[in-house]
Amino acid sequence: MSKKLKIADIARDGDAPLTEINLEELPPLPPPYDKIDEQPEFKRLTAEQKERLVCNLDGVVSYAGLPKPKNKAEEKKYVEQFVSGLKKLLSKENNWTFLQPLLLSIDYCAQCQTCCDACPIYLGSGKNELYRPTYRSEIFRRLVNKYAKPGGKLRAKLNREDIELNWTTITRLYELSYRCNLCRRCTLTCPMGVDNALITREMRKLFSQELGWAPKELHEKGTVLQLDVGSPTGLRPNVAMDNLEFLDEEFGEALGIEIKTPWDKKGADVLLIHSAGDIISFPEGPISFSVLCNAAGINWTLSSEIPGYDGVNYGIFYDDVQLAKVATRHAQIARELGVKKIVMGECGHQHKAIMTVADRVLTGELDIPRESVVTFLEDIVFSGKIKFDPAKNDFPVTLHDPCNLVRNLGVVEPQRRILRYICPQFREMAPHGIENYCCGGGGGLSVMSDVNFTDWKAHVAGRMKLKQVLDAFADHPGPDVKKYLCAPCLNCKLQFRDIFDYYKVKERSGIIFGGLGELAVNAMVDVKKPLIKWEEE
Amino acid sequence: MSGIFWHIGVFGALAVFLIVTIYRAIALARLPVHLRWELAPIPGEKGKGKYGGSYLEEYEWWKKRRQKSFFAPLKYMAVEIFLLRAIWRHNRALWPLTLSFHTGIYLVFAMLILSIVNAILIITGVPTSVLDVFLVITSIVALAGYLLGGLGAISLLLKRTLDANLRPFNSTSKYFNLVFLGAVFVSGAYSWFVLPDFALSLSQFIKGLVTLDAGVTVSFPLSLHVILASLFFLYLPWTDMIHFVAKYFTYHEIKWDDTPKDARMEKELEGLLSQPVSWSAEHVKADGKKSWADLTKKKTDEQEA
Repeated sequence: MSKKLKIADIARDGDAPLTEINLEELPPLPPPYDKIDEQPEFKRLTAEQKERLVCNLDGVVSYAGLPKPKNKAEEKKYVEQFVSGLKKLLSKENNWTFLQPLLLSIDYCAQCQTCCDACPIYLGSGKNELYRPTYRSEIFRRLVNKYAKPGGKLRAKLNREDIELNWTTITRLYELSYRCNLCRRCTLTCPMGVDNALITREMRKLFSQELGWAPKELHEKGTVLQLDVGSPTGLRPNVAMDNLEFLDEEFGEALGIEIKTPWDKKGADVLLIHSAGDIISFPEGPISFSVLCNAAGINWTLSSEIPGYDGVNYGIFYDDVQLAKVATRHAQIARELGVKKIVMGECGHQHKAIMTVADRVLTGELDIPRESVVTFLEDIVFSGKIKFDPAKNDFPVTLHDPCNLVRNLGVVEPQRRILRYICPQFREMAPHGIENYCCGGGGGLSVMSDVNFTDWKAHVAGRMKLKQVLDAFADHPGPDVKKYLCAPCLNCKLQFRDIFDYYKVKERSGIIFGGLGELAVNAMVDVKKPLIKWEEE
Repeated sequence: MSGIFWHIGVFGALAVFLIVTIYRAIALARLPVHLRWELAPIPGEKGKGKYGGSYLEEYEWWKKRRQKSFFAPLKYMAVEIFLLRAIWRHNRALWPLTLSFHTGIYLVFAMLILSIVNAILIITGVPTSVLDVFLVITSIVALAGYLLGGLGAISLLLKRTLDANLRPFNSTSKYFNLVFLGAVFVSGAYSWFVLPDFALSLSQFIKGLVTLDAGVTVSFPLSLHVILASLFFLYLPWTDMIHFVAKYFTYHEIKWDDTPKDARMEKELEGLLSQPVSWSAEHVKADGKKSWADLTKKKTDEQEA
């Protein structure tokens, strides 16, 4: 399929996809993943799916619930709603939250394309024009300028920036807004400070807040479920407590120590908010912090209030109202417990959501000090209260930098100081720190798995990261040497789980992944048995 | 054209440029405070900015005094503005072209300042030997500026036209801006080569302007250059070429704004949170009357129960 894509193509050819993923066009992975015929097959849409679903972008569907209008009148209604949303994005009342950054990014892009080669999705796709970070931004810029600003239609014609707004445009734009990790690596390179990720998030916001369109994993089964029952995982408070009680016992026996996780302790110094996804999928993480906090003598607690035991906040990916609702509840719970500070669990977007982005929503008594788990852990590790034996971690370890923790918060060195201390074979991947590649699951993509979206995430979005991880262990490529990828973020781990399962990375390369807390507990002198296990039990 | 028309044309263009630019800067500054959206590296973070760290790396950061550097952001911006650091690091093929273009602009601006100084020296009657030194410097700066700027404009125009990466994103105004500014540079260079003493002619013209001399005249081709430059100043503030203003906000007010809210901001935020919301999606539950605070700070019925 031709890659010579024009901006105006977004509105053309109705239901036909603009491009399709061709595995031969993707950049090669290192051996033994370099043979295309040995790579997992990319699931193509069936004829029935093509008939039933809106699938006019790239042969991938991230949201099967996108409505198909029955007639022209219904199409027109959606288009009018979209224009109404564009105007609200430019209003102080409805979008004070991001008005200034949005206007600056809309109005001052020099179109130099400097940002494109920074995008891991664009690179991972073999530079497919559709995934160029400026492609979706430029479409949106032209739509804003034409439909939401005075004299826009005339200016669009004179300036040869005319763009048609129809059903095809908005549905493709919706899907395209979920082909971005919001990692802001492009913004890092922009001489103007223009932010394509912000524009993408504003697009998602318009679709969610005006048309009610959002991936079910982020909205219906995300923030809505979290505010309703406590967690997007569906984990209710009593079940969360039961689960952890069980895990305390199980891991206590496995490690040969007593583990007790405190709940709802009024007046505790620290409210630790894990992600419930960690409790379910990666329980070594929460258990590690129970072990570490208890061993360091910290007066801490978890909360069983809805949604105080799940720190995720998917609102940051698509919706300001949902973002503020979840962040506010977290702060209210901390206030009711009377804690001195909230400590984020190992989850990048949770950090960004409540530590910085929602800082200007949490006013008055809700402004409770909030701290990263990484600095919290660094204080524990170097406090001298716990003895560590780095020899227990004598295997190759590399660090994945979650974008939201590192590039977006500036928490870069504490995790490295810990790793350099407790992991003798720690090595960096390249590039790292604030120039890291996103895992490919950022921007909420890691929890999205509708139709064939996982195939796209594994083949395209996570490609550059997988290559980086394999390159970091290039001195021990085979499965005989066991290696550990430290990813202190739930969403990144979910993405790694998908990629590693997809390519059988554990079996073929001997790499497992996990958090930072696990490495600390694994190195504790007082913990007699290893926490990190190389084989499933 | 002579006398008062030059005063009206040149001062009028400059006045429009200043008024519209300042108006747009104020309009940007007066936009509501937004949610935090910082991005590392923040050079003002003393001791940490170089590797992209922030004060959030400190244990219980709110109990510690923030270590901020005053000079690091200035140094960062100076390198960005004069040497185009981001383009150098991330788009090396474009760098010589755009560096030439921007350096040309800076040098022509420096030439303008030097010409005003020369005009003052002429008015104050300093010895010719002193004036001559300034005129030579002005002349060299002018030639370098016009040549670099002209070369930059032409090469960028070619790059925009021929580069398949850039072409789909071009608009009429992108071409027009380069052609217009290129014409200013080329007309300036032409004047420099044609006039026997370009720097003196320009300085005397400026002297005529600043002394409000009704008999001020300027000969062709400098007159063409002045007219084009004045028209460009009239046009500039209405375009995205005033990114030199926008850049202050994208860096200082967004990427580098990592300061926790203070009492003053808290007051502004309370006002913003009390604004009505009218987003239409069902889950927002907005009715055009309920405020942000109403919609986000209440517990759900189940939570209350």
